[in-house]
Amino acid sequence: MTQLVWNGLFVGSFYALVALGYSMVYGIIKLLNFAHGDLYMLGAFVGFAVLGAVGGVSSSMALPLLLVVLLATMVLTGLAGVALERIAYRPLRRAPRLSLLITAVGASFALEYGMRAAAGADPRVYPVRLGGTSVEVLGARLTLQQLVLVGVAVVLMFGLNLLITRTREGRAMRAIALDPRTSSLMGIDVNAVISRTFFLGSALAGAAGVMAGAYYGKIDFLMGFLIGLKAFTAAVIGGIGNIPGTMLGGLLLGLLESFGTYWLGGEWRDVFAFGVLILFLTVRPTGLLGERVTERV
Amino acid sequence: MRAIPLKSFASLAALGLLVTGCGQGLLGGDGDDKAAKTDAPIVLGMLIPQSGSEAAIGPYMSNAAQLALDEINAKGGVLGRKLELKTADDACDAQSAAAAANKLVTEGVDISVGGYCSGATLPTLPIFGKADIPMIIPAANSQELVDQKLKHVFLINGTGSQQAAAAEKWIAKQGAKSVVLMHDNTSYSKDIALRTKALLDAPGGAEAVLVETVTPKESDYSANITNVLAKKPDSVYWTGYFQEGGLIARQLRQAGYKGSFMVGDGSVSPKLIEIAGAEAAEGIYATMTQTPDTLEGAEGWISAYKKKYNADPGPYSNQAYDAVRLAAEAVTKAGGTDGAKVIAALEAVDGFPMFSGPLKFTPEHTLMSGGFQVLVVKGDKFALQDSLK
Repeated sequence: MTQLVWNGLFVGSFYALVALGYSMVYGIIKLLNFAHGDLYMLGAFVGFAVLGAVGGVSSSMALPLLLVVLLATMVLTGLAGVALERIAYRPLRRAPRLSLLITAVGASFALEYGMRAAAGADPRVYPVRLGGTSVEVLGARLTLQQLVLVGVAVVLMFGLNLLITRTREGRAMRAIALDPRTSSLMGIDVNAVISRTFFLGSALAGAAGVMAGAYYGKIDFLMGFLIGLKAFTAAVIGGIGNIPGTMLGGLLLGLLESFGTYWLGGEWRDVFAFGVLILFLTVRPTGLLGERVTERV
Repeated sequence: MRAIPLKSFASLAALGLLVTGCGQGLLGGDGDDKAAKTDAPIVLGMLIPQSGSEAAIGPYMSNAAQLALDEINAKGGVLGRKLELKTADDACDAQSAAAAANKLVTEGVDISVGGYCSGATLPTLPIFGKADIPMIIPAANSQELVDQKLKHVFLINGTGSQQAAAAEKWIAKQGAKSVVLMHDNTSYSKDIALRTKALLDAPGGAEAVLVETVTPKESDYSANITNVLAKKPDSVYWTGYFQEGGLIARQLRQAGYKGSFMVGDGSVSPKLIEIAGAEAAEGIYATMTQTPDTLEGAEGWISAYKKKYNADPGPYSNQAYDAVRLAAEAVTKAGGTDGAKVIAALEAVDGFPMFSGPLKFTPEHTLMSGGFQVLVVKGDKFALQDSLK
């Protein structure tokens, strides 16, 4: 039982990290960025490349080294997200919403198969792995590494929440989400703020990608597809555009999958997850915490 | 023709032979249809995954096929005609495969020598059948392909039922009491898992306590592994592909599983070991037909492959190579590319030397002897554990 909870929370924290980018971007420009899962994939590969460049470090140094790689990757993936917005989405800012959505799907394929061309179709394996033996806590097996990863995820999420609720930058984001035109009349540089939103969301996805690469070990060019859909589901469950809601949605989806697998068997895991998505879209499209219309991001 | 050409011809020598190899061209004029027909190359079509999840396998197969082709052409081709290879991408996906098969048919393929993912190969059978194109399937081996009972389909990889029999044999040999079968719900993987379960369900010996289905392309299988461990099995048999197999092996060991872990032939790849990590991979068993690594006397072939492609041959390289050689043999015996004649020639093949041993087809067009053996991971490669003879 506690094992199921822990499994769910661990997977859920990855979902939550990736889902945040979905939510922020949706909140600010009403775009479902379907290429977002591929930014997670990009992060995993960037981390792989950075590790390769640092190279030859003993495994006793694995954790601190990975933290450095994590930061470097977050910056690079964030920049990739900015570039994506600049190239693919900004020219279509005034186009019908559907064109943006189709472009996002196209961007997703471009990232996937671009990576395939660059790195090959074979899965790659991280040179530094977070292995570790498991310890029993309240009847659940967990490793120190898992705890550290969840810790990093929580720190990142709280940092983001502070940034959005307590800083000028965050206020600008919330203002644009509410009314882009008025915001620009009030002297907010709308384009710059949207760029920075993409940077933050992509950096978080990149962080999740590196952590997944270091923990699970295997990365491949299609790894972002499924988690992208799962993150979207998590965002919908919690309330897309709502930051605390999205975090909650990620953890809940992880738990749902974990318990769903236990109750119904493995073949139902995704049926369960996406069934919940359909349920929410039909019954409560605003999600659990809802999109607070007065101040959404 | 020698059994396994141990020498790859330098391309220069091949060119020289090319120039001398077209004696017939002097007789027939350009306008003569018959001559044009006998001069036209014999086209082999190959559907392989070049994109999607199994994209890594495609090059192993097409490279090896091209290698066989070059060797045959260097010796003057078949019936004085050159062989030509056309590959198409099935993306390991049924719909893409059907489209790609139609494309190959319109491109005038004479014989099909492709097929890796059973789920993607299945819908292509009637397409090639309608076009009167015999199929020699190098890798796809789901029993479903056999159950179609189609005259033009030949499988030169051991089938699911043969693999399940080998798995059951080895599980019994190890003295395991309780077994968990894990598959990924693809037609190939599910087929082996359920057949193995059926064999285990017979009274006596080991018992299949759980069939656990996983979703491919995920990273985290802890939920499935919790289910598996709850059954406290002595042995776990994974019948899917290597990407998930490596992750499952690693996560099982991390969760404290101490029993035996065995994988099917779709997981036999050096990448499995890399993904699982050396510690978790050590001692993994695998049911597998013969691979370049476990073949005696294949060193020359491996070096020829390396020389041409600057990479090691991978899983199914040898089967793809053999499929081309077998196609050439059948066309030679049939005296042309007429479908019915080629099928008859294939049915009559007896003792054609292949990597998997001398070839003879059963009435169902599968290998007389499945040739499955058990490999074990030692260090960074699969070594022979038991030939199950």
